[in-house]
Amino acid sequence: MSTKVRKGYAWAVAAAAACTLAGLAITPRFDLVNIAMVYMLGVVYVALRHPLGAAIATAVLCVGAFDFLFVPPRGTLTVDDLQYLLTFAIMVVVAVVISRLVQDAREQSRAQAGLALEAETERIRSALLASISHDLRTPLAVIVGASSSLVDAGDRLNADERRGLAKSVYEQSRDMSDRVVKILELTRLEAGGLKLQRDWSAFPDILRAALARLHERMATHRVVLDVPDDLPLILVDATLVEQALGNLLENALKHTPPGTVVSVKAERRDLALRVSVEDYAGALSPDQVERVFDKFWRGDPEGGAGGVGLGLAICRAIVRLHGGRVWAESLSGGATAFRFELPIDETPPMPVEAPAAPDD
Amino acid sequence: MTDLSPTILLVEDEPEIRRFLRTSLSSEGYRIVESASGSRGAVDAATHKPDLAIVDLGLPDMDGVAVIRRIRAWSPMPIIVLSARVHERGKLEAFEAGADDYVTKPFGIGELVARIRVALRHAMRSRDGEQTIVLDDGSIDLEKRIARRGGAPVRLTPLEFRLVAVLAKHMGMVVTHRQLLREVWGPTHELDTHYLRIYIKQLRDKFEPDPAQPRHFLTELGVGYRLQPGE
Repeated sequence: MSTKVRKGYAWAVAAAAACTLAGLAITPRFDLVNIAMVYMLGVVYVALRHPLGAAIATAVLCVGAFDFLFVPPRGTLTVDDLQYLLTFAIMVVVAVVISRLVQDAREQSRAQAGLALEAETERIRSALLASISHDLRTPLAVIVGASSSLVDAGDRLNADERRGLAKSVYEQSRDMSDRVVKILELTRLEAGGLKLQRDWSAFPDILRAALARLHERMATHRVVLDVPDDLPLILVDATLVEQALGNLLENALKHTPPGTVVSVKAERRDLALRVSVEDYAGALSPDQVERVFDKFWRGDPEGGAGGVGLGLAICRAIVRLHGGRVWAESLSGGATAFRFELPIDETPPMPVEAPAAPDD
Repeated sequence: MTDLSPTILLVEDEPEIRRFLRTSLSSEGYRIVESASGSRGAVDAATHKPDLAIVDLGLPDMDGVAVIRRIRAWSPMPIIVLSARVHERGKLEAFEAGADDYVTKPFGIGELVARIRVALRHAMRSRDGEQTIVLDDGSIDLEKRIARRGGAPVRLTPLEFRLVAVLAKHMGMVVTHRQLLREVWGPTHELDTHYLRIYIKQLRDKFEPDPAQPRHFLTELGVGYRLQPGE
């Protein structure tokens, strides 16, 4: 017998005993019918929470106790008034009916949860397929087209035309490579097999690495930095945090027209380092604020601004791995801030070195 | 450079990548020896005695790190690693095994050629043993322990001198956190990366024209630092 079933029967005995005590307590002042109702309550309670067997056992125990202790002649299992047989029958029926109902409801909700999960998986799968077919097919078309021109007609093209074609092959393939890396990255992050390589890191180093990596793409925008000189060190996996920050920057570049300002701020907030990337892509609706960090979510369902919709999801996964939080905020003036906070641990002390030797 | 064109050993299993590197590097004047596997590469390194090796970290037969170890066992030749971004960890291992520099796939050829030039220059110079580091706006004489910035003397602590010396030994190339901590503070401090952050900041404040945009004391995120001499 499984523990669950055994627990059910234990509850049956307990419920019958509890109802009997309650019945004995109220018996001088209440009718037998009301005492039967108390027993009914016990049956309903067990039937709601335990398997059918336990519910029937409760009904049988309650009928027995009610009959033996309350129904005249008391102290026997014989019944003077046949109407109590009906009471007994009703108790058993109630036990069976309620158990069935509860079980059905449970099965249904389980099935629904399964369906929801399946639907979610299916949604992710189709979003992935859609993004692959759109986001990878377009650059691939350019790469195939431009490189085939170079192969077939390279001799007839002048140097500028050749360079132009080669350049689009280069740019599109680099773009595609970024997207493939993002898909792999998120899979890796979500698989949970990733162990953080934490080091004491200086945020300005991380920021510089992200800016250097995105240097070419950021040339179109005005980047404004507000990073104080005295930020505390953070104990993080610097390469991952660089990616999280880089993805916020890429997101800002993607959704704002060239020439606009993208600002990066870092500040200490109590026990956290807060990093904000602000852009002027127009305020997000409350629904968008909720969902921007979701996987495959794109502001424009047609995929106008490009990207697989994974950058912010990766950012969130990385920040969460570090025990931090990430969110978006609409600011006044049509600006949007994408922020994350990483916990600041106390930097361990370091041995004091004698001051710099005089240059004599 | 020398009248003989330098020989580069290329250990890479993907024929398409070998082809593109062969074409591009030959056009830069390098002689290329190709190895399609790790074990082949370790043998070719011994028989061809190249001036530099380029090792892909994702080799099918044998870990690229193992190839680096086998070459390092007998040769100080510069080794440049080709790593993929999803294999960040392997990169760190490669440095511990003795790699000198890296480029991340996909990379542009210009980036790789720049790394090759620095590494070859370094290999030639380390034989001469250079003791004065010239920065854009200053200089550090490791032998006489004198540092200057814009003509005025700059005071360096003994640890700062030591840190500069270790970086300078690998001028222009990556030195890992672990190696720096071991050689400057000792083997018990290999994990104390906060020492480095603080001392590098001090050095930047003393020598960088704009400490927020360093040109000499460069961070290699998650790996270590690189000292870039003045132009």
